[in-house]
Amino acid sequence: MISFSQVTKRYPGGNEALSGVNFSIEQGELVFLTGHSGAGKSTLLKLIAAIERPTSGMVSVSGQNVGRLSRHAIPYLRRNIGLVFQDHKLLFDRNVIENVLLPLDIAGFDRREALRRARAVIDKVGLLQREKANPISLSGGEQQRLCIARALVSRPALLLADEPTGNLDAGYAADIMTMFRDFNQVGTTLVIATHDDRAIIALGGRALKLDHGKVTEVSA
Amino acid sequence: MIGWLRHQTQALLAAQRRLLAQPVATLLAALAMGVAVSLPSALYLGLGTLNRLAGNLPASPEISVFLDGDTAAADRAAIATRLKQSDIAQARYVPKEEALATLSAAQDLADIAAGLAQNPLPDAWVVRPHASSREQLDRLALDLDKLPGVAETHLDSQWAGRLQAALALGRTVVWVLAGLFAIALTAISGNAIRAQVLARHNEIQISRLIGATDRHIRRPFLYLGALQGLLGGLAAGVVLAVVGVILRAPVERLAALYGSSFHLLPPTVIEIVGVLGLTTLFGWLGAWLTVSRTLRLADSAA
Repeated sequence: MISFSQVTKRYPGGNEALSGVNFSIEQGELVFLTGHSGAGKSTLLKLIAAIERPTSGMVSVSGQNVGRLSRHAIPYLRRNIGLVFQDHKLLFDRNVIENVLLPLDIAGFDRREALRRARAVIDKVGLLQREKANPISLSGGEQQRLCIARALVSRPALLLADEPTGNLDAGYAADIMTMFRDFNQVGTTLVIATHDDRAIIALGGRALKLDHGKVTEVSA
Repeated sequence: MIGWLRHQTQALLAAQRRLLAQPVATLLAALAMGVAVSLPSALYLGLGTLNRLAGNLPASPEISVFLDGDTAAADRAAIATRLKQSDIAQARYVPKEEALATLSAAQDLADIAAGLAQNPLPDAWVVRPHASSREQLDRLALDLDKLPGVAETHLDSQWAGRLQAALALGRTVVWVLAGLFAIALTAISGNAIRAQVLARHNEIQISRLIGATDRHIRRPFLYLGALQGLLGGLAAGVVLAVVGVILRAPVERLAALYGSSFHLLPPTVIEIVGVLGLTTLFGWLGAWLTVSRTLRLADSAA
């Protein structure tokens, strides 16, 4: 589903985040990206979602050369990718369910169908009681679950999570990781960037370790 | 198609909510646009009134040919024949009885006419020649003057030409002003939308990350700009109406002193719709320029 071949990403100023990276991820896999902060985990996820373009090499997602995608085509790629951010990126001028409705509004869903889907996914992350709450009144763990609900509501085949448990204490973090395992079991491909080794040990699965812009395979 | 319509209505409703959420900013922007639009509009209306007034006066040159009181029938026939020649576009005979009747009908002159013991006016021809240049007209007037039985000819083209030239200049000034104020309108709208775009920076970034097209992001702002422009147009209407009410009495008093029933004419429905359409269009344009620029900048920053 995802393949990197000889991918290099150099930022202006000469900092090379990735150098000649090769790997591939099959559909339905659960893959962890590990490595110390600044190792290039976020860069790698951004290349998959076409938030950034590689300096050289080819990034392919579902058979599309993502680095060469036209500006016009990128939104349609992103509609098939759920993104979970460490800082949640929620909108605080609207309530919980309106945050979850955003991707469906963008995709032009029928309102009733959108509400049905949004409620279902909010229920799945355990926030149904807080449907009308403003996200600012939610705890860190709840905000992260809301972010996950928004990423999943359009039923993407691929979910990318950048340090999803980075700001959470151990209990919340374990909750979130369990949730991810459940999604993986129903067929979603997951790529999770984390430096939380406990999660990797708890969930199992494949791990890719990033170090100085190089990727090495580690089996858990 | 249904999805498209849904997107349009959603964007329109969102734009409306945003305008209502900031009533003071909305009103100020509308007022700024209204004042900007009202200046060329007022000039246009004023010119329109003058133009309609001038329309009642002969725009093309005329030569009045006054006959002697005792012109013989043969001479009259000769003059009539001469006036049928090809250099004359139109010639109308005005007998002295008709001239007196016209005089009596004119305001303020009726008393004078009634006081006359006998008709002092001559028979006359009002001639509209084909020629338009000054020399040709002068020569023709001289020719007619030499015909037997003609007492005097009078060429009255100069002031009409000057009035027409002045009105044409006025019209050009209106269009130049309208062009300048259209630019101002676009800038005002763009600036108002810029504030909105900055306030919604987060939403724009997040929407892009979850698959919003540029068009989707732009749409509510375009509606916002268009609505803002429409409000600006309406504000201009209010400004003009207030100015009209203030000016009406003094203008009519001045006109009355000149013995005229001249009064300010309100705009026609087509003119009102035209101004509202244009302000809406330029509000939209300002929004489009601003949002497109922001999206391009965000792109190169990402």
